[in-house]
Amino acid sequence: MPINKRQIILLIIFVIISLVLGCQGERKPIESRCDYDGVKIEPLYAVYFTLQDGAEKKFCSMACASLSFPELKSRIKEVVVVDERSGTKVNASQALFVESEMVTVPHVKNRIHVFSKEEDALKHIQKFKGRWVENPFH
Amino acid sequence: MILNALSITMIFIGALSVLLTIWGGVSSFILYRKWRRPSTPEEKTSLEDRSYLVLLIMVIVLVIRLINWPLFYVTLQSFISDIEGAMCIFGVTQVKVSLTRFLEFLKPITFFLIGGWFILHILDRATKTSPLMGRKLLVLSFISLLVLMDAIGDILLMIGIVPESLVSCCTTITDISNRPTRTTPLSIFGPEYARPLRGLFFITHLALIGMIGLALKSRIFRRPVLGLLFLFSLLNALLFLLSQIEVFAPAMMHLPFHHCLYCLWQYVPDSIAMYLFFILGTFSVGWGFTTDLFGKIGEASSLLPNYVGKIYWAAFFFLSASFILLVIHLLLD
Repeated sequence: MPINKRQIILLIIFVIISLVLGCQGERKPIESRCDYDGVKIEPLYAVYFTLQDGAEKKFCSMACASLSFPELKSRIKEVVVVDERSGTKVNASQALFVESEMVTVPHVKNRIHVFSKEEDALKHIQKFKGRWVENPFH
Repeated sequence: MILNALSITMIFIGALSVLLTIWGGVSSFILYRKWRRPSTPEEKTSLEDRSYLVLLIMVIVLVIRLINWPLFYVTLQSFISDIEGAMCIFGVTQVKVSLTRFLEFLKPITFFLIGGWFILHILDRATKTSPLMGRKLLVLSFISLLVLMDAIGDILLMIGIVPESLVSCCTTITDISNRPTRTTPLSIFGPEYARPLRGLFFITHLALIGMIGLALKSRIFRRPVLGLLFLFSLLNALLFLLSQIEVFAPAMMHLPFHHCLYCLWQYVPDSIAMYLFFILGTFSVGWGFTTDLFGKIGEASSLLPNYVGKIYWAAFFFLSASFILLVIHLLLD
């Protein structure tokens, strides 16, 4: 059976359309999206990895950052987290981590909370049946 | 229940399908039994008239069911904003896990059978004596059962998904290190499984396209060849799924650790076209086989090679288009 000309034309049209769509898709800005699962980042729960080459990786939650950490560990220079109480950025080595019943980022059921002051962390532990956890990024 | 235009459409289509399928399924089974018995010319004419009415209505129902498969996913997508914790369709599927999983399994099977039945129907209509009528009615009564289950499932799901449900989404399930899609290739190819998996998929996919091309050129449409090609296309589909989850989807999304196909459709919408082509291509190979299996009877036998040829051209076209789309994306990355 000979090749139908219409089929070839259709194929070419599809290729061109997909090429254009694909190019547009690739160029979409993804600045405020999580580098693990692509979700829009809520700045209060964000985690930032600075890599040795100067590049920055950002994550929507402690959960996504923890999942990425083993793969990137050897290339990480600094981990910055956000104090839930004040919204200020803190180096992970100086932050306090609490696991409690309260979920911050629902899609990953993140229960790990970050605080820069001990009194804030203790208040959270009492209020939400929390417990101290170690810094997951060391 | 989450009320929006799509969920209402799904329920309406579901209810309509249930009613018409019960009537159509039972009628087609009764007609099938009568069709086998010897009858007078008057009885035969009456039987034919009734059969055409049943077929006419069931064709409409089946076309709706074909559209229902993509509509199902579009509806689930529309629920994302109402489900707490859902960031893609995966999250929505977690509200009623068993029912959604069952429907996700049933819908492609129903789609395949309906497509196969339509080809038989078209083949039969091209004949003067309708030699496939009996088989068509029998297959139709079986498909009606599946359509009935599918339609009832749709209605139950639409009613069962309640707003503000709290779920975990794909990240906590599709990205865990002991996911089967990772452990299987890991056990075969070792820790650097991505490269061989990608290579293997390219080989099988191109081999499948090549074999279809060869069958078309030499017009070898014997049943064992068609059956083997169908099995090979299923193997290729398995590799497609595995390589998509583990290798291609993360690359296309620019999220190297994320393996959710629903997220891929969301972040790279034109990948849906690639999936559509792949499904139609793979199913076309299967339809070539089922058409030969059920269509080789009486007058239809002489028309069969021409029809199988057309189906194989469709398979060749769709699988090639899917492959080209994938390559374009990989080149752009």
